[in-house]
Amino acid sequence: MTTDLLGTPLTETEQELLAVYRALLMFVGRDDLAPVVRAGALAALAPLAVTVTDLGLAFEHLIDVGA
Amino acid sequence: MHTSPYWNPKTETLAREDLRALQLVKLRRVAEWAQARSPFYRRTFAAAGFTPEQLRTWADIDRIPLLTREEWMQSQADHPPYGDIPVAADASAIRMHTTSGTSGKQPLRALDSRKDWSWAAEMWCYALWGAGVRPHDIGYVAFGYGSFIGFWGLHNGLEKLGALTIPGGAQTTTARVKQIVDFGVTVVASTPTYALRMAQEAEIQGLDLRASPVRTVILSGEPTPAATRDLIEGQWGAKVFDTAGMTEISTIFMFEPADQPGGCHIIEDHFIEQVVDPDTGRELPYGEAGERVTTSFGRSMIPLLRYRTRDMVVKLPHTATSNGRTWDLYEGGIIGRVDDMKLVRGTNVYPRAIEGIVRQFADVDEFQVEITREGIRDEITLHLETVDGFADASWEELELALLTELADAHEGLRFLIRRRGAGDLPRFELKARRLTDLRVAR
Repeated sequence: MTTDLLGTPLTETEQELLAVYRALLMFVGRDDLAPVVRAGALAALAPLAVTVTDLGLAFEHLIDVGA
Repeated sequence: MHTSPYWNPKTETLAREDLRALQLVKLRRVAEWAQARSPFYRRTFAAAGFTPEQLRTWADIDRIPLLTREEWMQSQADHPPYGDIPVAADASAIRMHTTSGTSGKQPLRALDSRKDWSWAAEMWCYALWGAGVRPHDIGYVAFGYGSFIGFWGLHNGLEKLGALTIPGGAQTTTARVKQIVDFGVTVVASTPTYALRMAQEAEIQGLDLRASPVRTVILSGEPTPAATRDLIEGQWGAKVFDTAGMTEISTIFMFEPADQPGGCHIIEDHFIEQVVDPDTGRELPYGEAGERVTTSFGRSMIPLLRYRTRDMVVKLPHTATSNGRTWDLYEGGIIGRVDDMKLVRGTNVYPRAIEGIVRQFADVDEFQVEITREGIRDEITLHLETVDGFADASWEELELALLTELADAHEGLRFLIRRRGAGDLPRFELKARRLTDLRVAR
């Protein structure tokens, strides 16, 4: 079972949010993205990363992927 | 729409023991990140014999060496322009901001990544939402939008929250006040000094701010003594909410919630704030005045671990409020600076305390404090301008009342008071400097 940083099981909403974040994080790692796609995805990833950190679901530094 | 009074209900009401555990997890990760990527931290950690693996319990935080502004400045002097604290080259950043430079020193230069900058706006969202700002609001940012970080984060926070955001940059005070009234602004953000300046300008222009839709004034950038807050609330007919931040963290670390408990909540899921004796570095208990030492979790480009801020604060436990937040508070916000205190004929003098007295007198429009040395004797002089229409016949009464109040608050210290002509004294948009110590220059 997936848990937050404190080991508490995630709610359904948190699971969905974390899945979106992980998918986007994986997506921006691709090297075949057109500038318009990569920039838009990075611009979306940054606030999403802040939200999952706010909720204690993940806490990661994203500089190496451009965010 | 969500009706929660909290921006983030999950962590704003988190049990204290869970909050501590969350902070410790984040602290370890930031320390590991700093050790792995920042040449500065690798060096200072090694010199202190510290490794992130040593962070096992809360008490281990004191193993992390303190960071001073002087060390940061030296790092930027040695490795211009950004020093060797950043974890990556400037190409990885999307923003560069500087400190305001009010201390007279070289401003610090700070870099932020996309996520860092998003986080800066997020911290403002905690404050804005906590003060009752909602998407239907119209926010006016009375700020010059230069390289000084100022209210940039607030601007982005207002947008993120969904409020209509009006940037009030690059125009006169007259134009700003007119826009606030013309656009039906409900929330204004500025420094305390500039809120007073805009109210003064509104009066000159015959605009009644009290009758305008403005209901909230968000303050930052300077300490706000109670008398200054009362004055602003009276002039604007709006509730005033205090916040405080610093360029070194890129955003704010505390905010005053809607129930106004007499202090500001620390955003504790994103910061660890310690209060220490400025001389010994020893951590102080609740209720004692000391220096803020901050650790920030939000900035990836510039990890900030145990930074000595020189801000003076008094921390209170979260139980001092009944609004449901489990975050501790700083009573009265920032109460001064460690290096603000002046010694005049054996008496401690703080600019904020003087302002707290002077602002109680509605006939005073603007003021400056000057400390000089006359022979072997120090003198402290209050220069002041009175409001438009002040009757000359009332001057002696005002002077006597001020002298009495100032002496009572300063162990009988006698101030000199000089009345100045209208417009003689400087006005400020950002961080006001109202005390000059000419003894230092001689």
